[in-house]
Amino acid sequence: MQYSQKVLDHFMKPHNIGKLENPDVEATEGSPACGDQISIFLKINPDSLIIEDIKFQSYGCASNIATGSIITDLAKGKTLEEAKKISWKGAADALDGLPAVKMHCSVLAVDTLKKAIKEYEVKHGLSQRETFSKKQIVEELKKIIYPGVGEDIVTLKVVKYVGFEDGIATIDVDIPKFDKYRENVVEEIKEHLEHYNEIKEVKVTI
Amino acid sequence: MKRIYFNNCLTSQPAPEVIETVTQNMNNNYYFPEDFIEMGTKTTKFLDDSKKIIADSIGAEIKELHLTSGGTSANNLAIKGFLTANSDKGTHIICSVIDYPDILTNAAFFEKSGFDVTYLPTDKDGFIDLNDLKNSLRNDTILFMTTFANHTVGTIQPIKKYREILDAADHKIAMFVDACEAYARIPFDVKDLGIDLLSISAHKIHGPQGIGALYQRKGIILGQVQHGVDRIDNLYTGGLSIPSIAGFAKAVELAFDNLETNISKIRKLSDNLLSKIESTIPYTLLNGPRGRNRVPHNINISFDFIEGEAIMMMMDMYGVSISTGSACASKGLKPNYVLMALGRDHEQSHSSMKFTLSRYNTLEEIDYTVKKLADVVKELRARSPLYKQ
Repeated sequence: MQYSQKVLDHFMKPHNIGKLENPDVEATEGSPACGDQISIFLKINPDSLIIEDIKFQSYGCASNIATGSIITDLAKGKTLEEAKKISWKGAADALDGLPAVKMHCSVLAVDTLKKAIKEYEVKHGLSQRETFSKKQIVEELKKIIYPGVGEDIVTLKVVKYVGFEDGIATIDVDIPKFDKYRENVVEEIKEHLEHYNEIKEVKVTI
Repeated sequence: MKRIYFNNCLTSQPAPEVIETVTQNMNNNYYFPEDFIEMGTKTTKFLDDSKKIIADSIGAEIKELHLTSGGTSANNLAIKGFLTANSDKGTHIICSVIDYPDILTNAAFFEKSGFDVTYLPTDKDGFIDLNDLKNSLRNDTILFMTTFANHTVGTIQPIKKYREILDAADHKIAMFVDACEAYARIPFDVKDLGIDLLSISAHKIHGPQGIGALYQRKGIILGQVQHGVDRIDNLYTGGLSIPSIAGFAKAVELAFDNLETNISKIRKLSDNLLSKIESTIPYTLLNGPRGRNRVPHNINISFDFIEGEAIMMMMDMYGVSISTGSACASKGLKPNYVLMALGRDHEQSHSSMKFTLSRYNTLEEIDYTVKKLADVVKELRARSPLYKQ
């Protein structure tokens, strides 16, 4: 497994690294326990809704730092609508690819950017917070990458069933017993869903 | 750029004398042992001479030594061989939660086949509580397995004390020791320690890759795990590389001719590395015991607020090879199980870096490494949202 030269360049000399003083909005995703966390700071022009400045901080591996760097490059100077279209696949492509096992870094970086934009939009009455439903659970599961192939577990049909009743989220997944990423995926599902106040309990069945 | 190598626990650079020996033997001594013909009898004698050098280094007799294709094959021949041949005496085995993967995966394998396994916990430095061991012994316990020097944090297990506890039981309990990490790093004698089965490996002591040995004490019965033609060893059947065996013996000679000097040189280097890191870089945490209960070549240390794969890669770009316990750099994306078992949290495990030294390292290399490491840690901390100046 090897990183592309572009990943190494962004890792050694990341663009837009650091904190913005008095940002219009900031967001943090991931957790030190998972081994990666990213914070994104935005300055947004209230009239044009253009991202005038963007910075990030990273606790994580080389690909975490490189994806943080590339998405700040991609988002800088764009309108919020344009920035929302940045996808984790697009970010990975802009780095000349990422190893499958590292795709989740790109998801985390893009997710943090989207969270910051959403915060800004809600704060300024440009959009509303969505009411919680099964749909949001599925969206959250789409952020979990199966490390073996670098694709999300919903697209890969690893997720067989999603239920949500009385605050209990039930997720049924299909992963063979000998799969080395089995525990990892189950843990990721729990970590992702336990963030939601609306979810009291996460039940993962295999 | 000359590479500075601190991954000797993974594998070590072959000594120049070993390379020369292997090459010579590939040219002149490629035959297998055989009776009555010159090439065969010459190889038989040569094999015995090599085995004597290796056997002597651990206090064993030639007849008690099997040559294998490395540490893992020795471990499998020992554990599987012992348990299959002795299951009529009992089906309970004991090891610890921080043992080498060869022990843990074999234990899990036998657990599935109906054996009972006790996985003993350890304290924060990696030692089993002697009372826990005593209390775990049962009438049907037949084997205790341990890793002489821990592969992650370098803890030296008190083998003699374990032997005394096993001997206090009213029946014989065998002891298997994986000594690949301890071999040629601390002096020991299998007879003195009461070890029944022990594995060693050449490539961790500047010998060739793909060759190792298993000590089987006289009277210990092993079942046949690997079947096939008896060319060199009746337990490890099939062929083994004669030039590699020659290289193994040469590596042993080089290590053991000056064992105390080599050990004290490496101890001095790693003491120096640790004290320089601790005095120049803030917010560090040594993993494993401090001082003489640790093998001389291992330093494992966590750097708060940052992640290990990033440290490893930056140091690699500066020409320094070190390894990390971070989940990001592991095959299953899991944090290091030894560090987690010692009570470290996820962050401390993700930020842990392992340096394993050899007699080929120098003080100049240590100076350069600590200087670069200080820069790398400072740079990554400046990027980290967890680090508040």
